[in-house]
Amino acid sequence: MVSLLLGLAAEFNWLQFPGIVPLFWHLLMVGWITQIIFGVSVWMFPGRTREEGFKAQIWGWLTYIFLNLGLILRLIAEPATYLVTGLLWNVLIVISAVSQVVAAVTYIIELWPRIQSKEQRRRQRKKKRQKAKSEK
Amino acid sequence: MPTPSRWMIKASMLYMLAGFAIGALILISKVYPEYSSVWSLLSVHIEVSIFGWIIQLTMGTAYWILPRYLKTKSRGNPRLALAMVGMLNFGILINVASYLNILPPSATIVGRLLEVGAVVLFIALHWNRAVSYNT
Repeated sequence: MVSLLLGLAAEFNWLQFPGIVPLFWHLLMVGWITQIIFGVSVWMFPGRTREEGFKAQIWGWLTYIFLNLGLILRLIAEPATYLVTGLLWNVLIVISAVSQVVAAVTYIIELWPRIQSKEQRRRQRKKKRQKAKSEK
Repeated sequence: MPTPSRWMIKASMLYMLAGFAIGALILISKVYPEYSSVWSLLSVHIEVSIFGWIIQLTMGTAYWILPRYLKTKSRGNPRLALAMVGMLNFGILINVASYLNILPPSATIVGRLLEVGAVVLFIALHWNRAVSYNT
């Protein structure tokens, strides 16, 4: 919604502000498209934990937190850097950039092991069962 | 999950990481102009983020999740699916190599043709799988 409003504002000279076009594109492609891909794949891909809670779903939660922290900081800091100079804005931009990369890493940690063939999943389940038996 | 889908989804995650990392460098260079040379990677950032990440993930997931053929329970010719994976990724890598001046600028014509070929194969493989079970 925010990205589309920015896209609309970019069409009017009197509504524009510095950095509006990259903000529009990144809120659209990262804030919406990428985030919906992240959310749906974490839910839909095989191997999801049935347990609820922050600890049980830690990588999914970290992805959500870092991605949105990065985007919100960018939304605030990027236009500000065009208007005023100051170390604070530079630091916020760096935090924003790093946060989004961290979100990419945590998403990969969550999803990579879940991309398996049926045979691989069967073997993994068997291993888990054997491990649980031996622990008893 | 079938092999072509696994390859495409894993490759798409690597492209996503590369795209995010390059994007982060470009964003940081906006406040530290001494690193503005990273702007030369803008085309790579767009190529890997759009074609490598979003399009590839969509294609890989669709190949896995769309209904299989009722009679054979297959997803169509597996060789064509592997060709689709190869053509898309070869196309992306050729374009990236061209943007990095490893290949001449005209190499992007080959890269884009390979990407178009991959999409044609995607359509051919999935056209009859987008069906309704109601008769």
